[in-house]
Amino acid sequence: MTDLAITLAQAGFPAPMAQTTLMHYLVVSALMFGMGLIGFLTRRNLIIMFLCTELMFQAAGLALIAFSRYHLNHTGEAFVIFVLTIAAAEAAMALALVVLLFRRKETLDASSWMQLKG
Amino acid sequence: MTDLLSHLPLLLAQAGEHAAHAPAAAGDAAHAALGAPRGVLPAWAGSLPLFPLLACVLCTLCAIFRVKTKLPAAITVALLALSFVVAFLNYQNTMAHPGAQAAVVPLFDWINFDWALAHNQTTPAHVLVANFSFYIDPLTCLWMLFVTGLATLIALYASEYMSHDVGAGYCRFFMAFNLFVFSMACLVMGDNLLLLFLGWEGVGLCSYLLIGYFYQRPSAVAAGKKAFIMNRIGDLGLSMGIMLTYVQFGTLEYDKLFPQVAGYWHLAVEHRLAEVPFLIQLIPVLFTVGAFGKSAQFPLYVWLPDAMEGPTPVSALIHAATMVTAGVYLVARFFPLYLCSAWALDIVAWGGAITALLAATIGMAQFDIKRIMAYSTVSQLGYMFCGLGVYGATGGVGHVFTHAFFKALLFLACGAVMHGFAGQLDLRKLSGLGKMPGWKIVSWTMLVGCLNLAGFPIITSGFFSKDSIVGGAFANAHTQAIGWILLITAGLTAYYTFRVYFRVFVGPKHYEPGDELHASHDDHAHGHGDHAPETAADHGHDAHDFHPHAPGWAINLVLSVLAIGTFLAIWTVYQLPKDGWVAHMVNTSTAGAATPEVEEAHFLGMDPHHGALIASIVMAIGGIVAAWWLHLAGRTTAATSRADGLIPALGPIPNLAQHKWYVDEIYDFLIVKPLWFLSHILYFADKLLVDGLVNAFGFMPRAAGGMVRRQQTGVLHDYAVSMAAGITLVVLVVVIISSGGHF
Amino acid sequence: MGMLHDIIYSLPLGIVLPLFFALLICGCRPGQGKLIRALALAGTLIPCVWYLFIAGTFTWDHGDADYLKLTYHWFPAAGISLSFGADTISMLLVGLTVLLGPICVLASYTAITERLRTYYAWLLILQGAMTGVFLARDLILFYTFFEFTLVPLYILINLYGSTNRRAAATKFFLYTFTGSLITLAGLVYVAVKHHAGHHAWTFDFHALEATARSMTLREQTWVFWALLAGFAIKVPLFPVHTWLPLAHTEAPTAGSVILAGVLLKLGTYGIFRFALGFVPAACIHFAPTLAVLSIIGIIYAGLICWVQTDVKKLVAYSSVSHLGFCVLGLFALNSVGLSGSVLYMINHGLSTGALFLLIGMIYERYHTRSLKEMGGLARAMPIWASFMVFFTMASVGLPGLNGFVSEFMCMFGAFQSDSHRWAAAQAGHTGLLSGATPGELGPWFALAAGTGVIVTAMYLLYMLGKIVWGPLHEPGGSHGHGHDDGHARGVLPKDLGAREIGILLPLAALCLALGLYPTPILRALEPSTSAVARVIQHSRENPPPSGVPAESVASIAPADHPASDIAHPTSEGGSR
Repeated sequence: MTDLAITLAQAGFPAPMAQTTLMHYLVVSALMFGMGLIGFLTRRNLIIMFLCTELMFQAAGLALIAFSRYHLNHTGEAFVIFVLTIAAAEAAMALALVVLLFRRKETLDASSWMQLKG
Repeated sequence: MTDLLSHLPLLLAQAGEHAAHAPAAAGDAAHAALGAPRGVLPAWAGSLPLFPLLACVLCTLCAIFRVKTKLPAAITVALLALSFVVAFLNYQNTMAHPGAQAAVVPLFDWINFDWALAHNQTTPAHVLVANFSFYIDPLTCLWMLFVTGLATLIALYASEYMSHDVGAGYCRFFMAFNLFVFSMACLVMGDNLLLLFLGWEGVGLCSYLLIGYFYQRPSAVAAGKKAFIMNRIGDLGLSMGIMLTYVQFGTLEYDKLFPQVAGYWHLAVEHRLAEVPFLIQLIPVLFTVGAFGKSAQFPLYVWLPDAMEGPTPVSALIHAATMVTAGVYLVARFFPLYLCSAWALDIVAWGGAITALLAATIGMAQFDIKRIMAYSTVSQLGYMFCGLGVYGATGGVGHVFTHAFFKALLFLACGAVMHGFAGQLDLRKLSGLGKMPGWKIVSWTMLVGCLNLAGFPIITSGFFSKDSIVGGAFANAHTQAIGWILLITAGLTAYYTFRVYFRVFVGPKHYEPGDELHASHDDHAHGHGDHAPETAADHGHDAHDFHPHAPGWAINLVLSVLAIGTFLAIWTVYQLPKDGWVAHMVNTSTAGAATPEVEEAHFLGMDPHHGALIASIVMAIGGIVAAWWLHLAGRTTAATSRADGLIPALGPIPNLAQHKWYVDEIYDFLIVKPLWFLSHILYFADKLLVDGLVNAFGFMPRAAGGMVRRQQTGVLHDYAVSMAAGITLVVLVVVIISSGGHF
Repeated sequence: MGMLHDIIYSLPLGIVLPLFFALLICGCRPGQGKLIRALALAGTLIPCVWYLFIAGTFTWDHGDADYLKLTYHWFPAAGISLSFGADTISMLLVGLTVLLGPICVLASYTAITERLRTYYAWLLILQGAMTGVFLARDLILFYTFFEFTLVPLYILINLYGSTNRRAAATKFFLYTFTGSLITLAGLVYVAVKHHAGHHAWTFDFHALEATARSMTLREQTWVFWALLAGFAIKVPLFPVHTWLPLAHTEAPTAGSVILAGVLLKLGTYGIFRFALGFVPAACIHFAPTLAVLSIIGIIYAGLICWVQTDVKKLVAYSSVSHLGFCVLGLFALNSVGLSGSVLYMINHGLSTGALFLLIGMIYERYHTRSLKEMGGLARAMPIWASFMVFFTMASVGLPGLNGFVSEFMCMFGAFQSDSHRWAAAQAGHTGLLSGATPGELGPWFALAAGTGVIVTAMYLLYMLGKIVWGPLHEPGGSHGHGHDDGHARGVLPKDLGAREIGILLPLAALCLALGLYPTPILRALEPSTSAVARVIQHSRENPPPSGVPAESVASIAPADHPASDIAHPTSEGGSR
């Protein structure tokens, strides 16, 4: 343990990873996911909506890493690396698509595209 | 495949090497009368049908090479004459060995199929055999003699009669003509029921093709169709009979069949009919359905009068002399089987009697002379069936034989008139033909034919053969009613026959040409399409310079030969009920089965045969006198006579008879129209209901999709909400379940 | 030399040859019409020559055993093999297929003027697939070919048909495909059953036959109806026939010829091979039902024919009627009926195929199929009319022509197969009457089917009366075409030309030959059909247990030698 840890402990903080339980991470993950979801449902701007999905994505990643640590194996971490890679590619694709859509209608309002109506 | 085909020449060669082999001996002494040892005929005995077949092929070649001469006729006459020679030699060879009866001459395998489930010694051979082999016994010889003889003569006649059609039509005519003779030969000579059926349907086809010879006339096409379909109805009965025969006896071949039949026939002779199985009693009834179709008996007779749409030689050969007697042949051939049935012969006799009377009444009221002859054929066929039904095969066959001559003669004479007067057949528009130059032979031979048909006593063969039937009917106590019907019919026959003669051939000279006038003056090479209706309008102005062209040598020769033939035929039938040539021929064949003893009857208090003889003479003379009084002595003009005055007195009867008792209309109303209507309903049901159901199945996925497609709003947020709701739901469910329901 | 010999005398060659030529055609350029046609003709004629080689050595006397059986162990884990073989029935139907091949190609010479490559390539692929169906001896292989025939015909109808072609093609495809899927379920059930008993997968016909026959009546019933679902639609049997008139009416001539000539026979072949061979007990149980359906079909479709105004539709419905006889013969379940039925498959292919050709020739000239618009063509086209009358008579079942022998045998088979009615009545006799066989049908069935013969005469003579006989009535007042819509069409002669006569003559000759001398074929059919009849009779005498399906593996009798064919993946044709 480093000095900083000791100092923090003296200040009343619990020791790192000593008292930080799985539940803490999951709560953070759930909060992130909830914010992303609410953002996705309430905002109309495509880019904002896309950012919200990213937020949910990372929430899931956080949960995976937490579980990975909890179970002491690397499966979840491996997953997250994959997810991050794909998310990067996806972001590039999605933003490109968003640009194309914007060029077509000069707006980023999601309700402008309803052609898939049944 | 190659080695399959190589069977054919091999088998043909084998057939050639074989002399007619005597079939496996039946070996049962009890069957002596039917299954006696067989004579040996030379191998060429079976070549008889090959001559018409060859002629048919040659005529086809003529058609292909567009021969525009009378070559097809020459080929036909020559080859048919050869087949007649073979028929005559067969007859001589057959009769030269009195004990030897049926020879089987194999040609090649047609259907030869082994259907046994297991092959062992204990079960009988289960083979379906129907080969091209010919069964030659006196009955066959008798039939083939007059079939080939008449065919030769009529081909000669047709060579002149059809001369306006030289070319494609001429080839087509003789092609079908020869095919007919071939089919008829298969029918009569076949040694099994299926070959008989082949001939049976084959003659039907030729009849169809020849009735529809003038195929541009809708009426001819309709008549051909009617004939074919009516015959098919009868053929269904026959084919069911054939199947039942096979199931019952395990064979269709005569030489294996008749020995088996003989066992049951003995039961019948001993009045133990009740012991004959029902199925065997049913077989002849089914055969009768076929016979009634082919021989135009009630209720299947309506096609024959319409069949007169064909050229007259066809009417003479097919629809008077030969094909329509096939039914009589069938009954005669299977006479022992008919004796095994409690009802078959009654059906035959009553069917014949009803037809004879019905057709005679219709014949009395017609004006078209060829149609009158057609109804007289139907009526005379009725006599033949009565003959078969009331006393045996000899009666029917005797009348077939004499009728073939005089009816062919009558038709050919009518044909000569038709040919000479541009298709005119209405007896109101023709009169006094006998006085015209060049018409002597036609009119004299017509008289001979009419005397025969009317049954003029003593000097005509028709009298003897018909009288034997009437006598036979009166001799049996159960069939006296039929005797009375036949007697009345005989009077009517004499009347309508001489009505034709007195109206057309004697009396004041008068004629109007028929509607073929324009065509016959037109170019002869044009073909037969000249019957097109539009030409009818032209005959009005052409009638002035119309000259009937008298028949040439071929027609006159044929008429003369036939007229002489009718007199010669007296010799074959004058002792009929018991003896004579025809009786001898029939009695030495399979048809010669002894009939059971019947209850003796008396007619007018005397011997039935003598009584019938006298009654027949009275009726024939009476009919002729009535015709003379009404139509010759009472003639006013060509179109009118004393008979017209009688018509009102008879009420609706003449009108009904003239319209053929509306039988055609009744059939149309009861059968054809409902069937036509039903077919339309079925077609719509097929489209709407059967196919509709299928389409409904096809529609179901689409309909289901239609119901849920509203969910796809296209708004991104709606999808997101539903997704979130879905996730929430899933999470809730998982939580509830994992908490064991104690959430 | 030996290798060449082995290649020539191998059954898959008949499938590969047309496919190879189809590939060659794909390599042509669109403009090379003559080359494409020549390749197509070669691709169909060479299989004919191949067939003659095979038929020349085929053991026609022992036609019940598979000849030239060849098994390539393809996918051992799943038990799927490329297995080919030929018995008499396969040989006859392959013969019909290869015969109709060049005829279809020649018939399309002037009718098809656009997109030649697509047309002929698919035509050849279709021929390869049809040959494959008849030669396959492995269920999966059979099913693959069976379904694959749909694609080429779908394309032929869809691209080259007449006005309503898309709907017809779609319906044809979906209808038959749906049924076939159920058939597949039935076939797979048998394979699964076999696997349960033997712990090894196989789809070999003979191995599965034994398994299937030992199933309980209840299982057999399910499998029977599953098989029938596909095969009855293919036949087509009333009431699942409605795709056929539509498909026929819209298909190009060659498509109709193949459809009527060969594709419908896949259904009857399937019934013969699988329903009768696999589940005899169910066949016995349902024979009267199927016979009644086929008789309804005979009369119902016949009457519908009678009121048609579209001549092609008339002939299409007549196929429904005719195939009814074929199915009736099959369910007579005796040797006569079965042989008659197989013969009927051939005969119907010849005569109805020819009728479709003749109608196609008229359509090429007049661009109409309506009986109201034309009539009396005997005057304008005597050669055509002669052929028309000839083939109509063959179709009517006139004795002396081919239709009669098979029709009579089908009806007679039904007539004689009645275990109860034909029990010998006289004292001193036991068993059946001498001409009867055990069976479930009887004379009433034959009589009912016999009325269909009258109806057949009615509608076919109606057709002749309208189109061949009567006063001449040509569509549009004259023959010929106002517009020149193809380089070849304008040169069609008024009556038939040499090419058209040339494709009709072999059919006519065969109709006559099979009508007058069917004995060689009947002889060759004897072993096959009596073997099936024996199986049926065995099942009749030893009925399988009914009721609850037997669950225990032990109750399934082991097949004779299920793996023997797989163990020897070489040609077994050396014994000829």
